[in-house]
Amino acid sequence: MEKTQISGIQLYLILLGFLFGSSVILTPALGAGRDAWLAMILAGVAGILLMWVYTTIALLNPSKTLVEILRDKLGKVIGTILSVLYIWYFVHLAALVFRNFGEFICTTTLPETPVAVVMGLFALVLLYVVNSGIEVLGRLSELFVLILPTVVLIISIALITEHDFTAFLPVLEDGMAPVIQAAFVNLTFPFGEAVAFLMVFPHLNRMDNLKKVVISSTATSSALAIFVFARDLIALGSDLIARATFIPHLTSLLIPEFNVVPLVDINLLVGGGVKISVCIYAAAKGLSQVTGTHDYRSFSRAVITFCVVLSVWVYENLIEMFAWAEKLWPYYSIPFQFVIPLLLLLLSLRGKNKPSQPNTENTETESCTSDA
Amino acid sequence: MFGRIRNKSKSGRNNSEEIVQTGSYGPIPPSADAVKASLNEIFSNCCDFILREIACGKNGAIRILVAYIDGFVSKNELNQDVVRPILDFLANEESPGGSSIYNRLTDCIVVNNDIHEAADMHQAVDGIISGEAVLFIDGETRALVVGVKAPQGRQVQEPDTETSIRGAREGFVENLLTNTALIRKRIKNPNLKLEMMHLGDRTKTNVCICYIKGLANEAIVREVRERLKKIKTDAVLDSGIIEQYISDNRLSLFPTVGSSEKCDKLAGKLLEGRVAIFCDGSPHVLTVPYLFVESIQATDDYFDHAFFATFMRLLRVIALTTSTLLPAMYVALVVYHHTVIPFKLLLTLAASQQGIPFSPFVEAMLMIVAFELLREAGVRMPKPIGQALSIVGAIVLGEASVAAGIASNLMVIVVAITAVCSFIVPPLLRASMLLRFMFLIAANFLGILGIAFVAVAVFVHLCKMRSFGVPYMAPFAPLTVNDLKDAFIVVPIWAMITRPKILRQQENVRGAKGSQRQEVNIQQ
Repeated sequence: MEKTQISGIQLYLILLGFLFGSSVILTPALGAGRDAWLAMILAGVAGILLMWVYTTIALLNPSKTLVEILRDKLGKVIGTILSVLYIWYFVHLAALVFRNFGEFICTTTLPETPVAVVMGLFALVLLYVVNSGIEVLGRLSELFVLILPTVVLIISIALITEHDFTAFLPVLEDGMAPVIQAAFVNLTFPFGEAVAFLMVFPHLNRMDNLKKVVISSTATSSALAIFVFARDLIALGSDLIARATFIPHLTSLLIPEFNVVPLVDINLLVGGGVKISVCIYAAAKGLSQVTGTHDYRSFSRAVITFCVVLSVWVYENLIEMFAWAEKLWPYYSIPFQFVIPLLLLLLSLRGKNKPSQPNTENTETESCTSDA
Repeated sequence: MFGRIRNKSKSGRNNSEEIVQTGSYGPIPPSADAVKASLNEIFSNCCDFILREIACGKNGAIRILVAYIDGFVSKNELNQDVVRPILDFLANEESPGGSSIYNRLTDCIVVNNDIHEAADMHQAVDGIISGEAVLFIDGETRALVVGVKAPQGRQVQEPDTETSIRGAREGFVENLLTNTALIRKRIKNPNLKLEMMHLGDRTKTNVCICYIKGLANEAIVREVRERLKKIKTDAVLDSGIIEQYISDNRLSLFPTVGSSEKCDKLAGKLLEGRVAIFCDGSPHVLTVPYLFVESIQATDDYFDHAFFATFMRLLRVIALTTSTLLPAMYVALVVYHHTVIPFKLLLTLAASQQGIPFSPFVEAMLMIVAFELLREAGVRMPKPIGQALSIVGAIVLGEASVAAGIASNLMVIVVAITAVCSFIVPPLLRASMLLRFMFLIAANFLGILGIAFVAVAVFVHLCKMRSFGVPYMAPFAPLTVNDLKDAFIVVPIWAMITRPKILRQQENVRGAKGSQRQEVNIQQ
């Protein structure tokens, strides 16, 4: 194992950036319309349960990454195949976020610059981040992630005069079905994507904090997301919300006499940056462990280049990307986010009960003999 | 190309080794004539080398050679304390043999306190060239080195480069021993350790590591010693050269070794558990580890009311950001983000840009380069001409460029504010100067996004750096809550109970607890 370590607060902030980052421009639970806040609460609770699953897996297999756990529990062949699939999943996720970022910048700020240029330069910067190691990512998060809630606060205060609280009504006009559907979408994006953190958890310096840190970070990010949605709904009204592409961006345009689009850009840079860095790190690290090399850095360059190319190549345009992310991504994610982790949890729990009992017996007998 | 440089350095090293080899001149010959001959050969063509022969005792039987460099030693002291007693006491002696004379000289004749023995010619020559007088006695193979150095160099005065409103006016001078005495004067404690070493094969510069034992982290002290020993060069003319050799990240724009001319500042750093490096011939004393946050700290902060100090810290942070980012931000806003600028200001801006042939980027580059030229000229120029320069600068930069339609009014304001701000945080002056250009270029390509990309890269670099094992961006990243009391916010000095924790001192608490333990140590 590498000796690099991150502290509890660093992990908290990385995870916060990861989970809240995309919500800066997208609202995943939008399928439920004005009831999205209900869906977000449900997704938040489910997300915390999911984090409990992930952290329990990590705690039952201390100082092991996802790839090592997979190979350990499912055998070398199946474990390696699943690991490769996971690596693909992380790469794909990073590519999605890349495209998201590029499209947003090119739609709102730099309409004449090609998407590939923006993404390519972003990739260069992120390559530097990833190659500097997870420790540096943690320190960067300490400096940058707090920008996210600060900007939320600034925009909210600036919009304090724009409000229409009746926008929440009527509640549950179409019944529970769309809410549950939206909650599921929201659970897969962003909460389930945190499965990538199974590659990062072993770096935490005090493992007994893991659950507390991860769950409080998840709760914070979902509370922030709900707050942002409620603010947007109150400011924009449900009609506009149903039609807009980038809702928080549209809200920020409402601020009188002042344009804060660059602030939203910076927000996306921070959130998207953290998310892509973690994904690239997870993918590169996974590749290095699958191939048995020591340093993930030799892979990160290839992985990030591939991500950029993939993100340009995989979707024709913005509309196609959104459609894909909304309709297919949740189902595509099910095995990675729920099925395999639950399987691992069960196997780890079984594995823990079996060998640990003889171990404790052994130590007891040893202590007895030494006493005698 | 690199190969060539390496070859060069290799040949340089060979040369220096030869010097070391020829540097050992063998033992001291017992005969005074032989000593005379060999000294005259070593110091041939040195008009400042003085070799005086004293022949005393009955019939001039006792022959003593006094060798020194003129101008280095205090002649008065040499005559009073060394030559006169010899003439007085040994005037009528029979020659009892060289070794017994040597013992009598050390025991009861030479008045001076600072004497030691030179066992071979090499040590004797070392003594002569470092400004001491050396006595050779006929028939004896040891020489006596007497420290009668004349006080050298300028008086202690207020440093020009670092001025402060509150606090001591004393600054370091070129003489190492004066500097160490200035520190001793402030920290009266035998635990203040001063370790001397010689660096530079040709210059043999005295370099001194200074730290407070029981306070500074031993690992850091050891690391400093190691790195200083590794320096392979023939000339150490200034502490700046040492700084470049011992820096963690030698290619970084940001300093990882601090330097100061102020005694009270250095004393403060030592008491925080840092290690200082004095270099003979340089008034700039180095301190390690040096963290980013130290560049916004000033001695005044601790002597003043905490509220004002906090306000000053925040001002310095604003100044640092402004001086690095303002021109880039201006260009980004004008070129890419008109919408962000309030409408009325936009009108003024458009009016002032009218008739200017250059793009805002070129305009900014021209003005910044012009300012940097003026600044550099101000540094190099003899002081009396400085006034003329400032007049030229003010008229050319302020008035004529606008009137001639080369730069817009707003650009002049932007560059002026940038220039003023750049002087507020002196340790990062150069770093922010170069970063300014990088940000400007990035802003011209991608607007605010470009600035953000470069900023992220710069922060990655900062977060990666360490100074002697201590993370450079501490206490912000990694977050050390305990140390935030002396970062953007300054708490009153009576509430600053602990030293910066990130340095991992042996003794973290200031005040009563620490001093008690020290007393126990002394009793033991």
